Amino acid sequence: MANLTISQLKKNYGNVEVLHGLDLTVNDGEFVSLIGESGCGKSTLLRMIAGLEEITDGTIAVDGRVINDVAPKDRDMAMVFQNYALYPHLTVAENMGFSLRLRNVPKAEIRPAVEDVAELLNLSPYLDRLPKALSGGQRQRVAMGRAIVRRPQVFLFDEPLSNLDAKLRVQMRVEIKALQRRLGTTSIYVTHDQMEAMTMSDRIVIMNHGKIEQIGAPLEVYDRPANVFVATFIGSPSMNLLDGVLERNADGIFIRTETAVIRVAGEISGQSGSNVIVGVRPEHLKIVADATEGSIPFDLDLIEPTGAETHLYGQTGKVLMTVALNDRFNAPLGSSLYLGIQEKHVHVFDKENGQRLN
Amino acid sequence: MTHRNFALAGGKIGTIIAVLVLLVWSVGPIYWSLATSFTSPTDLISAEPHFWPADMTLEHYAKLFGSTSMSQGNKVASVWPQFSRAIINSVITSVAATFITVAIAAFAAYAFARMKFPGRNVLFFVVVGTLAIPAYTVMIPLYRLMIALHLVDTYVGVTLIYVSAFLPLALWLMRSVYQSMPLSLEEAAWMDGAGRVYTLVRIIMPLAAPGLIAAAIITFLNAWGQFLVPLVFSPTLTTKPLTVLIPEFVSRNYVDYGLINAAGIIAIIPPVLVVLFLNRFLVSGLMAGATK
Repeated sequence: MANLTISQLKKNYGNVEVLHGLDLTVNDGEFVSLIGESGCGKSTLLRMIAGLEEITDGTIAVDGRVINDVAPKDRDMAMVFQNYALYPHLTVAENMGFSLRLRNVPKAEIRPAVEDVAELLNLSPYLDRLPKALSGGQRQRVAMGRAIVRRPQVFLFDEPLSNLDAKLRVQMRVEIKALQRRLGTTSIYVTHDQMEAMTMSDRIVIMNHGKIEQIGAPLEVYDRPANVFVATFIGSPSMNLLDGVLERNADGIFIRTETAVIRVAGEISGQSGSNVIVGVRPEHLKIVADATEGSIPFDLDLIEPTGAETHLYGQTGKVLMTVALNDRFNAPLGSSLYLGIQEKHVHVFDKENGQRLN
Repeated sequence: MTHRNFALAGGKIGTIIAVLVLLVWSVGPIYWSLATSFTSPTDLISAEPHFWPADMTLEHYAKLFGSTSMSQGNKVASVWPQFSRAIINSVITSVAATFITVAIAAFAAYAFARMKFPGRNVLFFVVVGTLAIPAYTVMIPLYRLMIALHLVDTYVGVTLIYVSAFLPLALWLMRSVYQSMPLSLEEAAWMDGAGRVYTLVRIIMPLAAPGLIAAAIITFLNAWGQFLVPLVFSPTLTTKPLTVLIPEFVSRNYVDYGLINAAGIIAIIPPVLVVLFLNRFLVSGLMAGATK
């Protein structure tokens, strides 16, 4: 059980600063995901928490105690590696019991502890096998088991599911989350898969170029992205963005884009006449019969039936747009359609700095 | 026959010829030595060459192993006392050099592969660069040094020279073995609570075993076959190995080809056994299952 506090954390490789003063608090028992494109620094941050990378500046503290100079072996954290990093010459049981043996736990206690965890992870029949005799999913479970068996203060996951096939990934996602709930261990989970981050986390940390762009609960991040980066990074298909100009008049607040005038509900900062970006998620667009007030003309290029949804790709003016419909839809390619928007689902961002305005 | 078939057949014939040439080149001398060791002294000097001894004789081996033997009709003392002593000397210096070299390389190469310290690469290239220095150029200063240290004609002296000569190669080999291993294995061990040395000894070295074995084989064979160093530093039977003893079977007025070849055949048995034995551990695929 542990609270993790990261403040003003910086990392340099030579003269290049890759993490620019990060602040993050992970509460006891919380499951926090770090997500971002490759090279954004999420794995570096995780490795710094683990003690595998040196800290250039700033502090990492567990329950108020700064651990910057504590060796990885003394941090009481367990890490699940992307490539599992199982000891190939040791059996599953020995792999899982390795950390206990190092802690001088009596042999008579190690075996039952390993068996308990193996039971939990459905690994009982494989305890005496070598890792090479296991499937990818089973190896992943052994890596999990090795982390769990010692009851660490913090779990660190470095893209643990990225080597599994899609079906297994979904299954393991559910299992990891359930396990973490049960154990109540503070967990930090690095992924580039937003589905994993959205479904597993209590909170998501979205990183970009060594900075934290937003920290929030999954739906909060989805519903109220703090800036254009987060808006486009979270959500698939990604959010539609249109350039426009903010207009305030007696009837309300509007954004005038190249092809439409879009009404915005609620309050918004920013002055009339300023340049903004309007964002609308594909599932918040619908096909309307004719040009109505606030509708957007849409030239259909492609229909993509995914089964659950139908994705329409097309253009308004010169801007590419995506629409996600819950129903089946058919129309000749090249049709000129109109899109309606629910005004409460309109996101507005400053054109200059990309920050959210509403 | 089409052009393609012709080319294929030509390639096959080429391969066969290459293999034959290689076999004759490498096994031929050993065969010749073996045949000579069973040939009677009279046949050895006959004008007509025999590819297999006309009259098989064990008299050369008897000279090596017996207490006395017949030579040119005279009863002579055998060379067994010198020969057995030289075998022991060869085994002791080669085995000692192998163990020490591999042990040092196992740790030092890890430091060169994984630890960060100033001048790491420079130091490594200086050590490996010594491989390029011809042994002859250091022989005289080395001799003076060994005299000063009273290490001439001692096991310690010869072994030390072997270690310094063969360590760079073993170090080079082991460094690349360590570098090819996934760092995450070590990191996993650290996270599990292991220190650096424990991780190296319990996790890394077992997985680097094929590399360690290869280093051991190379070192042992090098040490066993070494001639120049013991010629200078092992002047008496206290430490004189087989490689130096065997040529001494040439006397001023008689070259005992049979004896020399019989001794040579005996001398290659230990390295062959060592290679056969260690080869069993040179298995690939130790790393299977570590990742993904």
